[in-house]
Amino acid sequence: MAIAQLDRFTYSYPGAASPALRNVSTRIDPGLTVVAGPSGSGKSTLLRVFNGLVPHFHGGRVSGVATVAGLDVLATPTRVLARNAGFVFQDPELQMVYATVDREVAFGLENAAIPQREIAARVSEALHEVGIEHLAGRAVRTLSGGERQRVALASALAVRPRLVVLDEPTSQLDPDGAELLLAAARRATADGRAVIVSEHRLSRLMPGADSLLVVDRGCVTEADPAAWRPVAAMPAPRLRPPGDEAWSVSGAAVGFDGVPVLEDADLAGRAGEVIALAGPNGGGKTTLLRLIAGLAAPMSGRVTRPSGRIAYLPQNPVALLHRQSVRAEVQFTIDRAGGQEGERPERILGMLGLAELADRYPRDLSSGERQRAAIAAVLPGTPQLVLLDEPTRGMDLASRSALIELVSDLRDRGAAVVIATHDEDLQAALADRVVDVAGGRVTERAPHEVPA
Amino acid sequence: MRAETNHLNARAIAAWSAACLVVVLATTNPVYKTLVLAAALAALVAGAGFRRTRRLFIAAMLVAAFALVLNLVSAHLGATVLFTLPGQLPAIGGPYTLEALAYGATGGVTVAAAILAAAPFSLLLASHEVMDALPAALSRTGAAVAAALNLVPAVGATFVQVSEAQRMRGWRPRGPRSWAEVAVPVVLTSVESSIQLAESMEARGFGSGPRTHMSPVRMSSQDWVLVVASASAVALFALSIAAGWAEPWAAYPLLKAPPIDPRPLIACLLLFTPALQWRSRS
Repeated sequence: MAIAQLDRFTYSYPGAASPALRNVSTRIDPGLTVVAGPSGSGKSTLLRVFNGLVPHFHGGRVSGVATVAGLDVLATPTRVLARNAGFVFQDPELQMVYATVDREVAFGLENAAIPQREIAARVSEALHEVGIEHLAGRAVRTLSGGERQRVALASALAVRPRLVVLDEPTSQLDPDGAELLLAAARRATADGRAVIVSEHRLSRLMPGADSLLVVDRGCVTEADPAAWRPVAAMPAPRLRPPGDEAWSVSGAAVGFDGVPVLEDADLAGRAGEVIALAGPNGGGKTTLLRLIAGLAAPMSGRVTRPSGRIAYLPQNPVALLHRQSVRAEVQFTIDRAGGQEGERPERILGMLGLAELADRYPRDLSSGERQRAAIAAVLPGTPQLVLLDEPTRGMDLASRSALIELVSDLRDRGAAVVIATHDEDLQAALADRVVDVAGGRVTERAPHEVPA
Repeated sequence: MRAETNHLNARAIAAWSAACLVVVLATTNPVYKTLVLAAALAALVAGAGFRRTRRLFIAAMLVAAFALVLNLVSAHLGATVLFTLPGQLPAIGGPYTLEALAYGATGGVTVAAAILAAAPFSLLLASHEVMDALPAALSRTGAAVAAALNLVPAVGATFVQVSEAQRMRGWRPRGPRSWAEVAVPVVLTSVESSIQLAESMEARGFGSGPRTHMSPVRMSSQDWVLVVASASAVALFALSIAAGWAEPWAAYPLLKAPPIDPRPLIACLLLFTPALQWRSRS
């Protein structure tokens, strides 16, 4: 018996020229369903059909039939479907309503008017199911990203829905946090429940998958999960060895409001060298990047930087995007940077696979496309120092390969590159050195030879 | 939540805020208005600490200063001329009077007091505390309230992110127009954040019907003290107006000292109750 079913379902966002989902017919059975596909293909849109956010919250034109737990999605408001379809969003920051973990998990139960005497027991049960009983009573603001996502999953499970949907839930998590969340999602398939997970990094997920849906340009096809094979992004060969020291951090402490996040940080990078900053969520990677960029002043110690342009990609790509088109964003940076001779937006847009999206409004793009647009907006020309904060967030394999090629090109043109990333594939493909940033300390991993 | 935040509840704060607004808007007397402003400021400092209150206070004072200057420049009325600009100067020419200055200052105090009296909803309360305090009939409105309140801290965090990102792309503040490059993405990002919160709440069944509460909101004795003090302030001030104890004051045509009566004065002093009750959360 299918828990959810779509039959010739087509959907277009308001004002969109073409459908985001085209004639989709599929069924969701109990077990783990993985949804894969390139950025902007319609994965998030598909997932939002299952709880009615599409079309009830987003509007737009619909045809076809969608049912969840026997309810007609088009005739049932999202707030009613919520009792049958739990949802975990991509960004753990933007889905928390209450300030403490147990109240947060209880939110859906309160909305479903579960009697007060039952709520505490249901909250405990959900926390146990996800393996975070120890977090009960903790303030949400003190949790790591991984813990927050597990709280979000517990919140979804507490209502005991028949279907649980997770939309790229690990895109902002460190490897440990991602593994714990996905293990909890796999466990949630017990009791005949269906769990749908959309992800770009499938290697952790596929071994336990019961079915695989591939979304491409709004079309959905079913594939055999057993036939899936991991594909890693290939490193680009180095054309020249690293040069002289380009930047350095010496004995530096940095933090907020007089409280240090990092102490005694010592690190230096050379022109044409790529350093990856690894470590858990909240370990201080972003703070170190901001220190190198000059956005955070050292409380003690010294920082040196090259005299040329510094390109900085913040963790939140939308902080950059405010022009009317993706092309205008790139042109804006080129103009501000004084412009390299002959530099045109089309070069970097083409490298990042954004040529077709050049005239689109950046904030209308999918999260992965926004990420690429933000990268295109900061990396044109010839920056001397490139600082990227989680650049592969929400990116598919093709986009990550394009990013690797772009960064390799900058590296070979002499840019010093520092990347804060959880993405182990990216580290393997690009990093000359990997530095762990955790517990207030900066520690270099065992060095390996930098290829000449 | 009560155990965690350990302060007055949203309904009690709403009663106090409403009382402040009623008194400050009902009187023309600058002494009473200033007392309400002082009460609101004292309450915020007690509840949120000086550091968190400082920026808001400065913003409120800037708005008050704007009101003062606007009236001084535009209202060339009153008997006590401070100085005169040539009448040929468009808009700003004419006599500048002490009365216009006093009237503008009174207007500024009114606006600043209103801002500070409403500030506890964003400065002292989390959005869910406001939601919990809403009557059941307004539960749908709660989603909009939560999203709106979420916007306030989101704007501050986004401003830092956006200004840093734009600085790294070569942006430098050069006059008011240059700030559009920061202001536009700040507003867009903050609005998007609030919409995503609203989407999340909708997806979790908020507004589907009557809600239950894991920990029902209850009024403590301190909460009741504040509600009673606020209601008493409003009642006493209304009585003072009706009985003529709180005489109206006008800056024009000749500035004179505002009349003061102990009964409306006591009403204003009752609004200092939260300053005595609230513990700092900063």
